Amino acid sequence: MKVAFTAQGNGWYEKVDLRFGRAKGFFIVDTETDQAEYLDNTQNLEAAHGAGTSAAQSVINTGAGALVSGSVGPKAGSVLKAAGIEVYTVEGGTTLKDAYNLFKQGKLKKQVL
Amino acid sequence: MKEIVIMSGKGGTGKTSITAALGALAGSKAVMADCDVDAANLHLLFDPQVEHEEDFYSGKKAVIDYDLCTDCGICEEKCAFDAIHWQDGRVVINDVSCEGCSVCFHLCPVDAIRMEDNLAGKWYRAKSRFDNPFVYAHLGIGQENSGKLVSKVKQEAKKVAEELQRPFIFVDGPPGVGCPVISSLSNADHILIVTEATESGLHDLQRLVELTEYFKLSASCVINKNDLNEESDRAISAFCREHNIPVVERIPFHPAFYETLEQGKTLIESDNKEIIAKIEHIYQYLTKGE
Repeated sequence: MKVAFTAQGNGWYEKVDLRFGRAKGFFIVDTETDQAEYLDNTQNLEAAHGAGTSAAQSVINTGAGALVSGSVGPKAGSVLKAAGIEVYTVEGGTTLKDAYNLFKQGKLKKQVL
Repeated sequence: MKEIVIMSGKGGTGKTSITAALGALAGSKAVMADCDVDAANLHLLFDPQVEHEEDFYSGKKAVIDYDLCTDCGICEEKCAFDAIHWQDGRVVINDVSCEGCSVCFHLCPVDAIRMEDNLAGKWYRAKSRFDNPFVYAHLGIGQENSGKLVSKVKQEAKKVAEELQRPFIFVDGPPGVGCPVISSLSNADHILIVTEATESGLHDLQRLVELTEYFKLSASCVINKNDLNEESDRAISAFCREHNIPVVERIPFHPAFYETLEQGKTLIESDNKEIIAKIEHIYQYLTKGE
């Protein structure tokens, strides 16, 4: 399965971006191979309105089955829910590497959408 | 660093008056951010000295290159916002009506339309007369506040607070529960809701609390003009109790609110000791433990 993290930059030691719609980018990891790819989110970050729902569409397009972020707003949440993507939350300052480990160990809190 | 966002849901509850007074009390300890950009007015009370200003672009606007335009009229026909009209034999785009949807850009058969970044206003980093570092923005006519602009103002305020190592950021939040409000709530540490004892005060408080609960944000409430309507005052208190939102203060209606505004002053500079004591109490409540 692929899991998407909102990220402040591209790299395992970058931090999870607590914003969802206006996150810097998405760090997408394949849990079978531990391989990561990065998806820039500048286009949504720069949107005047609708950043959350557009970002949700971007996440769906990556084929991710789960999302790890700060917290997701009500509209973006309903888009993700409809697509069957589960949302998990982390504390501020967590690196992508730590967040990924916590995710694998099933230690992240699930956000009820 | 603690980011406290002051929200109201309903307009006219006294949110900005209270925010300004909190800023005056905090002085250099708190960075102030005005995210109520549709009606930014903290600067009127803060008499800021601008240290830095920058253009703010938001969205796109269609522009016609008349050297290429063949006057075919497809854009005029297809514009969903009625922003393109015939004028003296050629199509003209009305800047205010153009929503930047790009349909004309895509449909123009001779590529005579380009989409340009829309200059929406300016944002400023300044120092208030109370020594607060202060970030605010001005929108151009017909431009609207947006999640993007709120996010920009908050980001700059955070940057300043980190650079100068200030313990607090006070954010004057926008009214309503839409996009700019969601953006204001994002990553906040505490939400102070200023409401008033009226039916609509209660209604808009309920909508706002729905959001703070959704985001699991800690929130507290000030009931301003609590003597306007006893029944509303009681209903708001009961609602807050039910939702575990502490009512920090109740402030009876007092002319000091508009009198100080008329003079470009904050409530702290009024001669009403009772109100000053109440604002001081709110300030202590928000800043305790830091």
